[in-house]
Amino acid sequence: MSGVVWAVIRREYLQRVRTRWFVASTVAAPLFMALLIAIPAFMASREGDSRSSLVVIDRTGVLYDDVAADLENLGYEVQRAPDAPDAEEALSRRVEQGDLGGVLVLSPDALDRGSVRLVTGGRPALVRQMAIRQIVVQSALAQRLGADEAAARTLLGGGELELVVLSDGGTRADEPAFVAAYGGAFILYMTILFYAIAVMRSVLEEKTNRIVEVVISSMRPHQLMLGKILGVGAVGLTQLGIWAAAAAAMFVAGIPALLAANPSMSQLAELAPFLPGLGYLGLFLVFFLGGYFMYAGLYAAVGAMCNTDEEAQSAQFPVIMLLVVPIIFVTQVIAEPNAPLSVGLSLFPPFSPILMFARAATGAAPMWQIGVSVVGMVAAVLVIAWVAGRIYKVGILMAGKRPTLPELWRWVREA
Amino acid sequence: MTVDSPAVRLQGVTKTFGRHRAVDHLDLTIPRGSLYGLLGPNGSGKTTTIRMIMGILHPDEGSVALLGAADLDETRRQRVGYLPEERGVYRKMRVLDFLVFLGEIRGLARVEGRRRASDWLDRLGLEEWADKRTEDLSKGMQQKVQFVATVLHEPEFLILDEPFSGLDPINQDVLEDIVRDFHRRGRTILFSTHLMHQAERLCQRVCLISRARKVLDGDLRELKRSEGDGAVEVEFEGPSGWWDGPEVSGVDLAADHVRIALADGADPQAVLRRGLAAGAVIRRFEIAEPSLHEIFVRHAGGEGAVDAGVPRELALDGVAGGAA
Repeated sequence: MSGVVWAVIRREYLQRVRTRWFVASTVAAPLFMALLIAIPAFMASREGDSRSSLVVIDRTGVLYDDVAADLENLGYEVQRAPDAPDAEEALSRRVEQGDLGGVLVLSPDALDRGSVRLVTGGRPALVRQMAIRQIVVQSALAQRLGADEAAARTLLGGGELELVVLSDGGTRADEPAFVAAYGGAFILYMTILFYAIAVMRSVLEEKTNRIVEVVISSMRPHQLMLGKILGVGAVGLTQLGIWAAAAAAMFVAGIPALLAANPSMSQLAELAPFLPGLGYLGLFLVFFLGGYFMYAGLYAAVGAMCNTDEEAQSAQFPVIMLLVVPIIFVTQVIAEPNAPLSVGLSLFPPFSPILMFARAATGAAPMWQIGVSVVGMVAAVLVIAWVAGRIYKVGILMAGKRPTLPELWRWVREA
Repeated sequence: MTVDSPAVRLQGVTKTFGRHRAVDHLDLTIPRGSLYGLLGPNGSGKTTTIRMIMGILHPDEGSVALLGAADLDETRRQRVGYLPEERGVYRKMRVLDFLVFLGEIRGLARVEGRRRASDWLDRLGLEEWADKRTEDLSKGMQQKVQFVATVLHEPEFLILDEPFSGLDPINQDVLEDIVRDFHRRGRTILFSTHLMHQAERLCQRVCLISRARKVLDGDLRELKRSEGDGAVEVEFEGPSGWWDGPEVSGVDLAADHVRIALADGADPQAVLRRGLAAGAVIRRFEIAEPSLHEIFVRHAGGEGAVDAGVPRELALDGVAGGAA
């Protein structure tokens, strides 16, 4: 690639990643996600610090040992109080004075109904409440079944379903696969649209600032367009890369560390199936690049044929529809990934980035269909580059009204 | 390609946009090392001509050769410094970065570009603005920065399309000095303007165009001499009537000066000597030459031609219709 193209790439890239907006959006998004997970967890663990001492009154007479052991695992300091008639009232007064974290009363029917009363100075986090209920229920079950607690825990966990699927047809996505497919498709839609529009704005800016003639006097228009698309695309990849790295760091290092420090947050481990694997990230990259190059080319042409932001707003309508249609269909395609309509739509190149990705992410799309869609996208990129390049070449020096479709066709033919 | 080839040679160049003919069979040769003026009213085809020289547009007919070659590859274009009429800045870029970028796309290494850009900013008193965004510059400062961007890579050929439009006289002088300096160092300069007096002050050679056609071209001084009617204008005090003599073909006495028409081949100095001998105090003695404006009007067919340029919007629409 020649030096001028590098210069354009470099300029587009540095101008963008240096903006406050880029830094903010890149850092803020994963930070926001992390905070969403970390803050409740942190609050929950703080809760334990201030009210760590619990006195248990066991009116069942059999549950104390199991319950106390589990509560200690949760981080409580546990004491047993004799089951005297006025014990609860006396202890409650101490809670009120702040001497005690709380009083846990295992009712006589705790063995039957898992009922338990917690007297405490402040409302504990929902996570804590659930954990305490679960402890009592587990202990009660273990007692009644005469089984060990681990077995009870497994049973309470809902058991295990081993799925043996003998044919591919009509596979329905289960929950983690649905989240991966839908979430990924949506992020693809957002990022492709965002960065393709950035290309359009960049083209429009050069045109309205009247800098474009200076630039194309030193290079050919297609070199400027190519450099611009690659430069903006590199910004997109940088941002996605940072997000992926942040997510990986969070799952690989952050969550295990959190769990080790605070076992009560074991629910977080349930996020593991949602973790994107390398294959998933690879798919995402392929469909991002395919989609970005198609739409960036289209948007570059739109930018070149307009003179103002308002004009561009309306001119981009057909292009944006090409991106919105697959988003409308995406839920249905994920639900029925191998229905003929889903297969057909996902093989149409402008829809492939979102729909074929979604099908692939659910694991439903056969390899050959993914291959066909990639070849289709590459072909579409080449056709778009050729047509858009010609529109771009004529459009960037044009002032006056926006071209009509026949005029546009003349540009393409004559350029 | 030889070093002796002209900087630009256009032969029979024609460009039509839709139904509007922007340039009509134009022949133009710009010798190396000349300071050449391309003159004509707005819409007469100057910018289209320059865009064809730069390879931004391609002629429908005829041939264009820049620096001795018809093939406008990147490296050849990088030897030219082009300041278009439609010039702008990247508004969010810092001044120094902007200059380095424009140098870079013309083949100037970044480090060297940075050094030269700083020197230029110092020279033009803009050093404090190096790290400011270009949008913070005043219009005049932006023009200077654009000018620096044009000359930063030390091009051997400068093409300046209406370079001084909108500049105040002081900044105009600064830039004119730089243009002259480039010329002194042997560079070729093509300078387009619709302001005849500006060209008169700067250019050695001119080409006048009107309504897409060349009106006339040549060495400015020779043009004026050949266009002159051989008259002299004299402002004087003291006795009058001393001008009568064999070489005088007519006299036109005005309130503060006299215009003396001379016969072909007559020596104006003889008239001057007669005046001094008669005791007249000569304040101004000038061989009356027509101004470029007068020459233009004479050849382009009346005052109307000067103002009858195609409206600017139309000219630009034309570009849209058929850029190739």
